[in-house]
Amino acid sequence: MLYIILAIICGCITIISMIVNSHLAKKIGVLQGTLVNYVMGLLGTTILIVIVNNSVNISFGNYTTIPLWAFLGGLIGILVVSGSNIVIPKIPTIYTTLLIFIGQLSTGILIDYFRMGFISKGKIIGGSLILLGLIYNSNVDKKELII
Amino acid sequence: MYKASAVFIGILIAIMVTFNGILSSYTNQYVSILIIHIVGLIALIIVFMLKKEKFKIPKNIPFYFFSAGLIGVFIVFLNNLCFNSIGASLTLSLGIFGQLVLACFIDHYGLFGLKIYRFKKKKIIGFFIVFLGLVTMIIY
Repeated sequence: MLYIILAIICGCITIISMIVNSHLAKKIGVLQGTLVNYVMGLLGTTILIVIVNNSVNISFGNYTTIPLWAFLGGLIGILVVSGSNIVIPKIPTIYTTLLIFIGQLSTGILIDYFRMGFISKGKIIGGSLILLGLIYNSNVDKKELII
Repeated sequence: MYKASAVFIGILIAIMVTFNGILSSYTNQYVSILIIHIVGLIALIIVFMLKKEKFKIPKNIPFYFFSAGLIGVFIVFLNNLCFNSIGASLTLSLGIFGQLVLACFIDHYGLFGLKIYRFKKKKIIGFFIVFLGLVTMIIY
């Protein structure tokens, strides 16, 4: 239950960061805005580490077992940011969430399948319901825009 | 074409959350966030060099503009935590739900200096269907 609430909160702060980022991008440009984000993020993490435990145990010995691709999350993050800046302005806003979610959900289900070894029916049925709800709401918005 | 690209961005986000989550299960939360930011920064610097863009920040920018990066740290933190306990699809779906609800709230009151878009009651039906979908995902 805790993780369910945390995941929802995560979505909420994502929206806030997107709004602040769009303000920032208007002022200093997307690329520079992203750079500022990452520098601030790095700074914030460092401070967090210092606060949480005074002596962080960064032993490089066990890092060799980590698959190389696991390090690429930060790189993909940059791809997401730069891709979004090209694509999102070119499609109607009401479709953006919907389309991105379609990609997220299908890949998420696939990833869960690879990790757990099975696809639960609930994930597919639930996911389809979420899509249905999203489509319904974007239609409500669409009608409003035409009028 | 651009619509397909939007779907592709969604796929990338799911892969990113997975990579980050797995990295944090190998190391620990704090070190993984540090690595993620360093790798991202290196990638960004390469992009800067390729585009031959120069970095300069104009003066008098409100301080809160710099807070997005700090919020980003918490986003990665929470995503990693949730990914490792409830899986990719549920983490992402719940995140979307949180986004939708807060976005409606912000639009309705025009927070953060954005235009006011009043909430339409009809959308409660859509939200209910989304909620039903989430419950289905959680229970089964």
